[in-house]
Amino acid sequence: MSEFSPNILAFCCNWCSYAGADLAGVNRLQMPTNVNVIRVMCSASVKPEYVIKALSQGIDGVLVLGCHIGDCHYLTGNHRTAKRIPLTAKVVEKVGIDPRRIRLDWVSAAEGEKFQQVVTEFVEDIKSIGPNPLREVVF
Amino acid sequence: MRTEHGNVAPVLLAKGDGPGELRADVPYQMAMILSRVYPHVPEGRIAVVARRCDEKAIAELSKRDIVDRDRIALIGLACTKEQVAECRCRDPCPETVDLGECSDPVVEDPVVEKVRSMPPEARLAFWTDQFRKCNKCYGCTVNCPVCFCDDCLLEDKTFTVEKGIPPGMAFHVIRSMHLADKCVECGECERSCPVDIPLLALRKMANDDMKELFGYTAGDADRKSPLLTTLEGDPIKEGDVDAC
Amino acid sequence: MPADFVLTTCPYCGTGCNFFLQVVDGRVVGVVPCKTDETSGGSLCIKGYNAHAFVGHPDRLTEPMVRRGEQLAKASWDEALDRIVAEVKRISSEHGPDSVMVLASAKCTNEENYLFQKLARVAIGTNNVDHCARLCHASTVSGLLQSFGSGAMTNTIPEFENADCVLVTGSNTLEAHPLIGARILKAKEKCAKVIVVDPRETPLSRIATLSLCQTPGTDVAWVNGMINVIVSEELHDEEFVNGRTSGFDKLKEVVKKYTPDVVEETTGIPADDLVRAARMYAEADGAMIAYAMGITQHSNGTNLVRTLANLAMVTGNVGRECTGVNPLRGQCNVQGACDAGALPNLYPGYQSVEDADIKSKFEKAWGGELSGAKGMTLTCAFNKALTGEVKAMIVFGENPMLSDPDIGHVEAAIQKLDFLAVVDIFPTETAKLADVVLPAACYAEKDGTFTATDRAIRVVRRAVDPPGEARADWQIACELARRLGCQGFDFKSPAEVLAEIGAVAPLYGGIDRDRVDSEVVRWPCPSKNHAGTRVLHEGSFKMGRGAFAVVDHTPPAEEPSDDFPFVLTTGRNLFHFHTGTMTRRSAKLQRESPEPYVEINAEDAERLGIADGASVRVTSRRGAITVVARVTRWIDKGTIFIPFHYAEGAANRLTNNALDPIAQIPEFKVCAASLEHA
Repeated sequence: MSEFSPNILAFCCNWCSYAGADLAGVNRLQMPTNVNVIRVMCSASVKPEYVIKALSQGIDGVLVLGCHIGDCHYLTGNHRTAKRIPLTAKVVEKVGIDPRRIRLDWVSAAEGEKFQQVVTEFVEDIKSIGPNPLREVVF
Repeated sequence: MRTEHGNVAPVLLAKGDGPGELRADVPYQMAMILSRVYPHVPEGRIAVVARRCDEKAIAELSKRDIVDRDRIALIGLACTKEQVAECRCRDPCPETVDLGECSDPVVEDPVVEKVRSMPPEARLAFWTDQFRKCNKCYGCTVNCPVCFCDDCLLEDKTFTVEKGIPPGMAFHVIRSMHLADKCVECGECERSCPVDIPLLALRKMANDDMKELFGYTAGDADRKSPLLTTLEGDPIKEGDVDAC
Repeated sequence: MPADFVLTTCPYCGTGCNFFLQVVDGRVVGVVPCKTDETSGGSLCIKGYNAHAFVGHPDRLTEPMVRRGEQLAKASWDEALDRIVAEVKRISSEHGPDSVMVLASAKCTNEENYLFQKLARVAIGTNNVDHCARLCHASTVSGLLQSFGSGAMTNTIPEFENADCVLVTGSNTLEAHPLIGARILKAKEKCAKVIVVDPRETPLSRIATLSLCQTPGTDVAWVNGMINVIVSEELHDEEFVNGRTSGFDKLKEVVKKYTPDVVEETTGIPADDLVRAARMYAEADGAMIAYAMGITQHSNGTNLVRTLANLAMVTGNVGRECTGVNPLRGQCNVQGACDAGALPNLYPGYQSVEDADIKSKFEKAWGGELSGAKGMTLTCAFNKALTGEVKAMIVFGENPMLSDPDIGHVEAAIQKLDFLAVVDIFPTETAKLADVVLPAACYAEKDGTFTATDRAIRVVRRAVDPPGEARADWQIACELARRLGCQGFDFKSPAEVLAEIGAVAPLYGGIDRDRVDSEVVRWPCPSKNHAGTRVLHEGSFKMGRGAFAVVDHTPPAEEPSDDFPFVLTTGRNLFHFHTGTMTRRSAKLQRESPEPYVEINAEDAERLGIADGASVRVTSRRGAITVVARVTRWIDKGTIFIPFHYAEGAANRLTNNALDPIAQIPEFKVCAASLEHA
């Protein structure tokens, strides 16, 4: 059997972590290629519904990356994120989805290395958790 | 409520109307009935026979300016012991009791305990089996006293893409998430469910999460939902957030 | 008051759920479930929750219309009614009363259907009256009548919850009868065995204890196979068979050849599964059979129903609580329309028109001479319209241009008519072809009763006024009869009509409007102090001994060929009802399922290079339609499914109007079709 290659979504804020990812790329930092980046205008626009939908459809992990608290382009957008995403992780846990499949972190435009580190860690974590069982569940 | 045609019907009486054979023993969710009637009564005060859950639901509605609390008079109804047991209710006593006598709350919910004690795989299997029964009647939202969005996310194919029924996992988990800061645990979703999905247990667990993370319980008349405030607790500027 | 809650009965399937319509300022604004209702128990399905949505729709017909040249133009009630009366009189005097056909409606109340058939029989003088039961459960009525002596559901809806075993076949219960499906699931939670036999994997079959997938059109074989297993393993109820039935020896003889292996060959059901199903069904204390269109809509529909009756009788599963043969009827009042006599061979209460004594009884009651010859069925009437024997049709609330098989044929037949009058609430595909269109009141705008599938009489209450000049069908029928110069139509209310039904139909003898207002009564209820009947055939069958039928498997009228390699089967989905005149005008339902589609097995789709969502052309020997492909694992290879709700992709352009010889029900469920990229 081939090694499990997770399928991961990363929602990146346009004003910080998306630029951070770019920086990581420009600097040719090595990192796993399992991550599909989705650019959003603010981490607050990552509604919990999107995260839940992704997991329900068998995505193995969802990464939400926003600006550090205090740095939000829209002042308090990431405050919402800081509350909603952890709650989402707890809610999905109650139906038997591993909460570690959701990770929230803050990555600024200057933190190319942090982006590399977060992505690498997350992919490793998901690999150790294994594939999302909902991949196989047919309703 | 009033006896009509051998059944029990919700009823709105005007000043001077004869009451007929009124009764309070069938658990219609009066807050839900109120929110259906309210838009059509432009002025005057409305008195509502309200259980503890109705009272809390009305608090949630008034915080979001869906009803004007000053126009509502509550007639506090304490549920009977049997009703409290049936609803597995942990907060049965209204602030003022006008009808009935308060009973003790049910502290432990056996369904919640059962689900919590399961390992993740069993839990997933349990809910998958439950959700597989869903035939998408939307009874859980239609009858929910605190479901008030004009455009329901669950009707939006963006989030529940599955064709036909059952609508799948996301449908129920999104709803769970969506109600975490509103649900007053009236149990109407579970009672309305034609196929007996234990939805109240799902709601209670989300409410517990809310409490654990933010020390918040829905139905609190004085405190805004933490999901609508900044980390410092200031309200997020209106227009920046959707009310739900 | 600014908000009233009016208790009434759901206008969709035959389950008969009650709910409250919320009324504000003369408008219906919402639905609230009724917590104390016996049938619904405070739950509803998505159609029920949206049953208010179409009532105030701008498309509602609000004024009578009369054809002037190519156009339908507004007319006064007097003009429109007089036109109908003049045409009916003219055609009837030129070609005889049997050249006129009246189509009654399973969407109308008992009282209205009673008046429709009385209009045909007394005012026009023909037994040519029929309705869409011909297209759904005609074979049930004829089949169960022959086996048991009564053509209705033997048990009641609430009993499903307490059954030990439920055998569901040809019914997508969770979608088409959601609240009955829910009860079957409740039974399963209580450890009942649920067996589903269906060519498609339905939402119910996916949860069932045992799900069997047969090739469409092979049902007699698997039922006989089950009986074979039951008899050879001696699981049958000897006492019941000996004491209450006749013809067992012949049955035993015929099922001998249906061994599990033979059945596997014919139906594709694995032999082991068939044996398991037979044991599960036979060993249960109380086993209920539920079936719907998948059984009845075949060219051998009557025989199929009779084989199910055989199965129930062999195991003694009739005449007790939580047993029986339970046809699930698909329209709010299709049971009642049959009860009320909207059938060409039966007067109200299933009394034969060919029996001279009964005929004279009705002549006395109605004060007019009646025809002693049975009338034409709906399916036959369209054939006879083509040959010119039927010249005029009055259609109350039906839409044959979408609901009947082989629409091309129906359209040609309608074009040949001298005169067509349509009474409906919306401008249906049929109304567009009419000479006179009359606007009717919908369920929320009139009083009356529906009879649910389990024979319960449910009350329909007026919540709001009809739009514009629309009138209730019962008023229209009475007015037409009066203008035709007929006595006995001076009813002031539907309650008076119901009283007359009670007087002429012993089944309804004890039913009156006051009584059913607060009490759920199920017929037969012969007298005022009779409590009604929950379980039919207790102690003995209506006709004495139950009759086993000897039935052999015959292939469907049309089988797949090289040119038409797929078996096409049709049906409903959860979100729409019938021809969609109401549900497709309900925003939320329409959003759930907006367009016509064809379900195709994933392997077949791959072979043909058809992707999910692709536009495909489906063709049969009768026509072709273009719909969207829905690639799914839930349908067997070689079979495709199209719901028939959609006018823009009408499944019935393709279906075959091969008829069951006894019930004259068409074979909606099987025809041969081909499929290709559009």
